[in-house]
Amino acid sequence: MPTSLTYTLVITGAPWTSQAPQTALAFARELVSAGHQVDRVFLYGDGIHLASALSTPPSDERHWPREWSEFLAENGVPAVACIASALRRGLVDEAEQARYELTGSNLRPPFEIAGLGEWVEGNMKSDRVIYFHGSV
Amino acid sequence: MSTLIVVDQAPYGSWAGREALDMTLSLAAFDQPAALLFTGAGVNWLRKHQAPEDIGQKSVEKNLAAAPIFGVEEILADATACQRYGLTEDNMIAGTSMVTDTSATLNSHQQVVFAG
Repeated sequence: MPTSLTYTLVITGAPWTSQAPQTALAFARELVSAGHQVDRVFLYGDGIHLASALSTPPSDERHWPREWSEFLAENGVPAVACIASALRRGLVDEAEQARYELTGSNLRPPFEIAGLGEWVEGNMKSDRVIYFHGSV
Repeated sequence: MSTLIVVDQAPYGSWAGREALDMTLSLAAFDQPAALLFTGAGVNWLRKHQAPEDIGQKSVEKNLAAAPIFGVEEILADATACQRYGLTEDNMIAGTSMVTDTSATLNSHQQVVFAG
């Protein structure tokens, strides 16, 4: 049995609607501290709201998008928001802003926007794929 | 490695099922074995003659009918749920198979993904 496993984390619940991003962050931190590797994070459905650069919670509340992006940067973990989910819900990077001639872009680095192929690849390569859903 | 995508919510009430279908189709597009299991209120996805245009949605019937063409291996329906919702072969879209033992179905796949 390997002592270290690789993980893909899929988040489908939005921050401030569900607990999914917070639970996933706690899980990701535990993985790293236990010597496991987070291969990638994939945001899908409402989960893409985690990657918004415009979320502005009151200053005495936890800022989940910022905490997540700090975790990703510190640990060199790639994170991708599904492009179809993102565009429908108003999350765009500069390339999509230009493509659709939109008034702004709002993707928080180091999150990126890409297709479901990223999730498929995680499904193929990681030892474990763990889902963090909101309520339906 | 086979992946089973489970849809247990009725169509059109949320976007989760539609996004689960997109996941299934994208696995198939990358030549990964994928199957769909509809259970609970989710079996209503498989009803013939859906007409959601009046509520501003596109019918999922065509997407489902296309799933086998795109390489989705199986479209499975929980027989007990079908009975509860009055679904029989006559009023279900073609190409679906009934399963009576859903836990055996879950166990026969390496990965099981529930629609969010």
